[in-house]
Amino acid sequence: MSTALEPALSVRQVLTLDRVLAGEPEVVAGAGQLDRPVRWVHVAEAPDVGVMLTGGEMVLTTGVLLAGDEEAQAEYIRSLHRAEAAAVVLGLGRAFPTPPDVMRRAADRCGLPMVVLHRPFPFAELTEEVQSRLVRRKFAAVSLSESVRTALTGLITAGAPLQRLLDEIAHHAGCPLVVTNLAHRVLATAGERPAVDDVLRDWERISRQAGGTEGDGWIRAELGGRGERWGRIVLCGYRGDTATGRLLADRAAEALVLHRMLGGTAHSWEEQSAQSLLTDLVSGVVPARQLLPRARAAGLPVNRRTFVPLVVRDIDPAPLDRVLRMLGLSGLVAELAEGATAVLLSLARDQDAQALTAHFATRLRSESGARRTVVAAAEPRITFEEVPAGLREAQHVADAVAQSATGLDLPAVVRLRDVHLRGLIRLLRDDPHVQAFAERELDGLLCGDRHAEQDLLPVLRTYLATGRNKSHTAQLHHVSRPALYRRLEAIEARLGVDLDDFEQAASVHIALLAHDAQQG
Amino acid sequence: MSRVIRAAIFQTAWTGDKESMIQVHEQAARDAAAQGAQVMCFQELFYGPYFCQVQDKAFYEYAEAVPDGPIVRRFQALARELNLVLVLPMYEEEQPGVLYNTAAVIDADGTYLGKYRKHHIPQVPGFWEKFYFRPGNAGWPVFDTAVGKIGVYICYDRHFPEGWRALGLGGAEIVFNPSATSRGLSRYLWQLEQPASAVANEYFIGAINRVGVEDLGDNDFYGTSYFVDPEAQFVGEVASDKETELVVRDLDMAKLREVRDRWQFFRDRRPDAYGPLTAP
Repeated sequence: MSTALEPALSVRQVLTLDRVLAGEPEVVAGAGQLDRPVRWVHVAEAPDVGVMLTGGEMVLTTGVLLAGDEEAQAEYIRSLHRAEAAAVVLGLGRAFPTPPDVMRRAADRCGLPMVVLHRPFPFAELTEEVQSRLVRRKFAAVSLSESVRTALTGLITAGAPLQRLLDEIAHHAGCPLVVTNLAHRVLATAGERPAVDDVLRDWERISRQAGGTEGDGWIRAELGGRGERWGRIVLCGYRGDTATGRLLADRAAEALVLHRMLGGTAHSWEEQSAQSLLTDLVSGVVPARQLLPRARAAGLPVNRRTFVPLVVRDIDPAPLDRVLRMLGLSGLVAELAEGATAVLLSLARDQDAQALTAHFATRLRSESGARRTVVAAAEPRITFEEVPAGLREAQHVADAVAQSATGLDLPAVVRLRDVHLRGLIRLLRDDPHVQAFAERELDGLLCGDRHAEQDLLPVLRTYLATGRNKSHTAQLHHVSRPALYRRLEAIEARLGVDLDDFEQAASVHIALLAHDAQQG
Repeated sequence: MSRVIRAAIFQTAWTGDKESMIQVHEQAARDAAAQGAQVMCFQELFYGPYFCQVQDKAFYEYAEAVPDGPIVRRFQALARELNLVLVLPMYEEEQPGVLYNTAAVIDADGTYLGKYRKHHIPQVPGFWEKFYFRPGNAGWPVFDTAVGKIGVYICYDRHFPEGWRALGLGGAEIVFNPSATSRGLSRYLWQLEQPASAVANEYFIGAINRVGVEDLGDNDFYGTSYFVDPEAQFVGEVASDKETELVVRDLDMAKLREVRDRWQFFRDRRPDAYGPLTAP
């Protein structure tokens, strides 16, 4: 639905009103200018009426003070033109039984519509009708403005997300809606998907060109507050009249500013935009090809690029974004799920993806101060269509790494091939055979005994993860070696296995990996 | 295959001391080189605070000889190691009491190619530069580097079209405009003047501005460094207005030729009619 006001009355429309038609109007000059809007209707017999006008008026006169003075007639028309009157309507009668030639020629020269009424009627009837329409229209504008503002304020106070607000505005506008930052990066969109995609496809070019004038239906409003601009909202191809579009854009801008100010700084609009895009990519609900315009509009270079999907756990998007900026790497950053943040790097084809990923991970450790942060990396993808699979691969690697025994020193970048068996077990974690195997193997430790689960299981995990290194395990658990031996003996007794036997130890290790994968 | 120059610019905040500031820039040069950048320019007076917010002769200490001072030598070695052309905007002491706002240009093999000295020196609140610098007197050099022809035009210079033109006439393909400019003063001009100059002279411009508020005053340096092409289009995104950022972009020289073939500004200019412009 599009909310539109009745358009402003034009000279042409006034002439088609029943009351006017009864007066047998005839356009004798300025026929090419009949679409001028009429702001007001003014009755005036004064020869110097021009000084009383402010523009946009339709002036009604009988010309009684002009009869017989051709110079005054021409000057009268010129003064109306200077005052930017919309049109002049002359009632024929005693003063002028026929259209005066001097006035007609003068009006033609300056392009002022001049209309004569062959059967004049009391002007008051016309002013009443036109002005009541004009007032109704003004009232409708105020009313629309108020209803849009009320709807948006209601949404804001109810804590609605940005997208809900934009959907509401797009509903009123009936055209695509784009919110950008000052760098023209698209932060959010609303409207019917195909129409939005059409706008985004060539966004970089059209955003800089269109809207210089508002006649083409591109209506912009600046977003800003506290003395600083930080973005704009654009109605793209609004089909109603410009005044209504501007009103909608202004109300929308007010609401967005309010929303941002009340929303705090937990997630910037840039973050929300990247999050929605990366989440859609990972979910696979929308084919990657269809998300390409959004990615490009969000500022990610996509032509002839190599994409490197990464996932980093237990770190906020902000430091990741900061390191990307510091290194001059192009990429999108967003939290995908609790504790897992994705980074989609976009590199030039000639750049060494492995080396730059390692560079990023190393600097992330030194800049964020998190020495153990691990970047889970998927293999680089050279088409955008392959990005969703890459993001899922990185996510899978990150999950597998998260299951690793704590305290182990992992390299800054981990790939699928680095997670070995752990990666395979994670993929198979939902298989009932694997689940039954894990239960069977670990039964002695998972029998509900708190001591076994809280003390012995972590020791077993570390012991196996360190390659059965007793001194390292004792160190990591802050226990003496004799104490560790006692715990290992307890574990062996409960499980009924000999951990010095490679095959038995391997079996328990696999079971433990499967158990942990199910928990994660 | 057209010639593409991978170029870098770097904006950052004052760290609080000269040595760490130099180290930040060395690291940035390494980061740029890791991405395959071939040429890089730092911000104006890169290893210091923007001390022109105050008039204090203590800051004369930041000046050193170009090219025989320690900073140029240090970065010559780095340029050679990284195979990276470096433009170093710094404070130059020609002799005691003769100081300039200068940029030294070092080729990818570490060779010192020469310097540009800022011509136009402002003297307004927050930018008391006449206290520190003599106006530049080294002409409008264009440096024939390993990757292309490079010009430099420093900060306040950018308001004067004549220098941009002189660099264009000298054959510059990329002109770097290292700056220190503050939010209240010039923000609305920052994305207007350099793009217009890029169009007028049909070359690429790399505009660099530092970030942050420093101890010496209220100037809020707003970053937003960028590359702009000969059609006034930004090459990729404009950098952050608050954070340290390295900007690495591929500048396609085919675009320069394409635009010059379309608009023959250098053919159609009328130096014979411009006499009044150089009347004193």
